[in-house]
Amino acid sequence: MDTVNSVRLLGAAALSLLLAQGAQAQETLKLGLSVPLSGAAATWGLGMEWAAEQAVERVNAEGGVTANGKTYMFDVVAYDNKYSATEGARNAQTMLNRDGVKFIAGAIGTAPVRAMQALTERNGVILFSTAWGKSVKGPEYPYTFTQMNTPFEILEPFYTFIKKQHPDLATAVLISPNDATGQELEPVAVETWKGLGVEMLASDWYERGTTEFQPIATKIASLNPDLVDFSAAPPTDVGSILKELDVLGWDGVKVMSAGTSVDALTAVAGEAAEGAYLGASADFDSETATDVQRELNANARKALGEPLNGITISSYDAIMALRAAILAADSVDPTKVKDVLPSVRFESSYGPSGFGGEAVYGYPQQMLIPVIVTQVENGKAVELTRNNPAELEALLND
Amino acid sequence: MELFVQLLANTLQIGSVYVLFALGLTLIFGVMKIINFAHGAFYTAAALIVTSVVPFATATLGLPLWAGYLLAAIAAIAVVLCLGALVYSLGFQYVLKDLNGSFILSIGLLLVLNGAYLAIYGGAPRSVPQILPGTISIFGATLTAQRLALVIVAAIVTGGLYLLIERTRLGLALRAVAQDQEAAMLQGMPYRRVALYGFMIGAGLAACAGVLMAPINAVTPVSGDEFLIKAFIIIIIGGLGSVAGAIVGGLFIAVVESVGGYFFDPSTATLAMFILVIVFLLVRPQGILGNAE
Repeated sequence: MDTVNSVRLLGAAALSLLLAQGAQAQETLKLGLSVPLSGAAATWGLGMEWAAEQAVERVNAEGGVTANGKTYMFDVVAYDNKYSATEGARNAQTMLNRDGVKFIAGAIGTAPVRAMQALTERNGVILFSTAWGKSVKGPEYPYTFTQMNTPFEILEPFYTFIKKQHPDLATAVLISPNDATGQELEPVAVETWKGLGVEMLASDWYERGTTEFQPIATKIASLNPDLVDFSAAPPTDVGSILKELDVLGWDGVKVMSAGTSVDALTAVAGEAAEGAYLGASADFDSETATDVQRELNANARKALGEPLNGITISSYDAIMALRAAILAADSVDPTKVKDVLPSVRFESSYGPSGFGGEAVYGYPQQMLIPVIVTQVENGKAVELTRNNPAELEALLND
Repeated sequence: MELFVQLLANTLQIGSVYVLFALGLTLIFGVMKIINFAHGAFYTAAALIVTSVVPFATATLGLPLWAGYLLAAIAAIAVVLCLGALVYSLGFQYVLKDLNGSFILSIGLLLVLNGAYLAIYGGAPRSVPQILPGTISIFGATLTAQRLALVIVAAIVTGGLYLLIERTRLGLALRAVAQDQEAAMLQGMPYRRVALYGFMIGAGLAACAGVLMAPINAVTPVSGDEFLIKAFIIIIIGGLGSVAGAIVGGLFIAVVESVGGYFFDPSTATLAMFILVIVFLLVRPQGILGNAE
């Protein structure tokens, strides 16, 4: 073979390799994440990114997902939304316009999610979020799905359980972060406590990014309520307030509706966090956890240095829901996937799951998972009770 | 009575950190006539170093906690001073008295440093064990021994800086350059060297604040940025470039935060601070103790 032919052969081989790579790249589905990777809520974002990577690894190891005769591999792209609307909007623009993302497997924070919806709903991009606000759901947002329990699922069973544990509870103070999440949670929390016969002595707001919590703690201590509910405050902020309250000698019932990361909480508050009730955490090492959760949790401890919680594990469940919906729709067209998602059945980390919530939100876009109440004991989250929502019970018995 | 003593204690606790942080920022403005938006990054660097050196010193070197913290404090301040010297010689010395240039440079530097901290330390909050455990009661007000130590050290550092500014040749040079750079140069003062010293002292003060706060608050790669906004409010109210103004402004903002946070709520107190800034900019733009130019 002469030199010219050799060069031609090599060129052809290189070209076919490039084309093959191009064809393979087209069969990768990018799954976006818009989560806080820095700041007080970073533990949520980092955990969610890690859980999403585990789900993607599992799906890809099982051969990916096949739709319309093509096999697709998942890939995760995570962006830091700093828990702000500005960054949420910027993330959405980057994901949709630059990276061509059609499926967002996790977004944290009502404000950034609201900002993202302006683009995702208009462009027909599926958005899974942990946003607690009711305003991000409804028939006008058919591409948005919630991947974890929110106040409308959590608060009533959570507060009722606490009231049963402490029947003498009569007074409370609510501390909420002054953002979209806090503003939407506050009236629900106040009403639910009132319904349980607990008087709200004060409902105060603070700005995310606050560095000094003595004024809040001084006010709480002077009101001396039986209970303090920290609403949607992240664990590090709650830890700082609990530490100050401990200094001032207050020792009542501590409630974190958005209580998730026990390690972050105890790292800041130390023993002052003992006894706190958490509404969005879970003991994924317990006997009631599934094998998947126990395995994920053990690996998360090694990789992240802390266990998973209700927020962080939700990206795993969203990706499992997406896989099931793509298979059911036999398409990667987000509109077709969106149409089958409300009726799809899938295996979440909690076990069999689906979507519901039409009676509350007007559209079945709420992932159905158990409500788990945990308490900090010796620096660990210990599961006290878990309740399946009625729709999940019906699904399990179906 | 007890309540007012507690509010006063809160004010001193909050104010002492704000003063340390704002002093560095105002000193750099006074000498170099620039706004350093990356000032918080010096605070963050020091606090992050403390969170990594303390566990290393106690667990690996077997030092007692206080010795580990002392070692971490020295390491943190040394690293921040080196970082300060590096960014001054590579960047800030070329934008002296250039507000636009320094704005672009310091914002860019802030992004680079925040990205570096995130890559090195991750975004999760980090903490340091309390060096001085226990609480102290003074006239009915309760505060931790750690916080009391912070207030005392901050007061000593602030007093030391005041003496340096008022009683030493370097202080005289810093004041002269801050008042009239050209006149100072005509008197033979080496402006660039004085500016470097001013910048290094400012960075050192931010590092001190970071070292003192690390055992008290959770540390993240953006911790310093959260103090930066308050520090801007303080130096605008106290007077840009005024050392005494930073002290008065820091304590004033601490009063607003402490008293306003108690009688209203923390969000209202924050809102009040921004309204105060607007009022000062409209009515007395030079601040309480600044010079009108």
